[in-house]
Amino acid sequence: MEVLADNLARIERGGRTEIVSIALVDASVGDRLLVHAGEASARVERSEHSA
Amino acid sequence: MKFVDEFRSEAMAQRLAAQIARVAGQRSYQIMEVCGGHTHTIYKHGLEYHLPDNVTLVHGPGCPVCVIPTGRLDDAIAIAEQHNVILTSFGDMMRVPGSRGSLLDAKARGADIRVVYSPLDALNLARRNPARHIVFFAIGFETTAPSTVMTLLRARTEGLRNFSVFCNHVTIIPAIKAILDSPDLRLDGFVGPGHVSTVIGCRPYEFVARAYHKPIVVAGFEPLDILQAIYMILKQIAEGRAEVENQYTRAVTREGNPRARQVLNEVMEPRASFEWRGLGSIAHSALKLRDSFAAYDAEQQFSLPGIRVADPKACQCGEVLKGVLKPWECKVFGTACTPETPIGSCMVSSEGACAAYYNYGRFTKEQLRSSARPSS
Repeated sequence: MEVLADNLARIERGGRTEIVSIALVDASVGDRLLVHAGEASARVERSEHSA
Repeated sequence: MKFVDEFRSEAMAQRLAAQIARVAGQRSYQIMEVCGGHTHTIYKHGLEYHLPDNVTLVHGPGCPVCVIPTGRLDDAIAIAEQHNVILTSFGDMMRVPGSRGSLLDAKARGADIRVVYSPLDALNLARRNPARHIVFFAIGFETTAPSTVMTLLRARTEGLRNFSVFCNHVTIIPAIKAILDSPDLRLDGFVGPGHVSTVIGCRPYEFVARAYHKPIVVAGFEPLDILQAIYMILKQIAEGRAEVENQYTRAVTREGNPRARQVLNEVMEPRASFEWRGLGSIAHSALKLRDSFAAYDAEQQFSLPGIRVADPKACQCGEVLKGVLKPWECKVFGTACTPETPIGSCMVSSEGACAAYYNYGRFTKEQLRSSARPSS
């Protein structure tokens, strides 16, 4: 993840990059984020169930 | 039986299924999953195959595309047909039938309607097209309302004058309460919404446990998450408890996201009431822009028909959304109403129970069990 100006970030999702807003979370590079409609609402820990 | 390869851990799934069967005992249970995303996972992974016969899942109204009444969709189309307007919408809304066709039909007739993935896309359109008025058709529960709100704050900071939002955000708690108050349903517990809870936290669900004495477990969206949540619900019942529990701890905290709630409160406020497809009029169940944002409120900038429109007679979306009917029990399921020729919203939305069942789960155990029933 690359932090951009104006509380935006460039993130990777499904092999593609997107610009999303991180105004509502305390995010750093390496974090996994839950994003809806371009806005991150939470940081997500890795699931014990998933790969 | 359908053990799907998407299960990351087959052994874990079997273990959970066995635990569920053991704790479920003999009596019958009806558990509602509120969220359309959970319904989708349940059908996609055939989760009902992993449940004993006495545990039934009831699908709730947590599909924001599905619950928007036809009249509001007609209003959106009326906005799109205004001179100079570009209406922007999530893809899921494009094919929902309105009184005079869908957004896609209106686009075919010449309205400028474009699919966006976030309201930021709509904002960018407004920045790049100063001579046009861009309206964002905002839908969703508390999950997506923060993105709409942040976009409005950005628009105001930049002093944009050619952008507004047609706000159809709905809130989950009044819908859950309406379900609990409904005489048509006898529910024993709830699989609580996952993503809404990242914003609102777990506290708002406490009334379900305290006032209605039903367990509610917030769940993630992996198949194993949902199975684990179902196990936690049944275990509560077996132990005589009714509590709010959180299975989705990797994303949801008890407090949720206070910053998101603060900006939501700054820009929006509850409507006195809002009409939901299927559940009728519910008090304080939807959001509108505050007066301080009137310049960005499409309902204030445009005059809308605002007509209450009944569903087509054949459509039983209302009952499916309330959990009273299963998709295959709808008279037009799979015949007149399919994803290609939808009559109602439940067949269109990716979170709609009918679409999920049509695409993934058309041979569930219930249909296998009652194979004497005429096929839909």
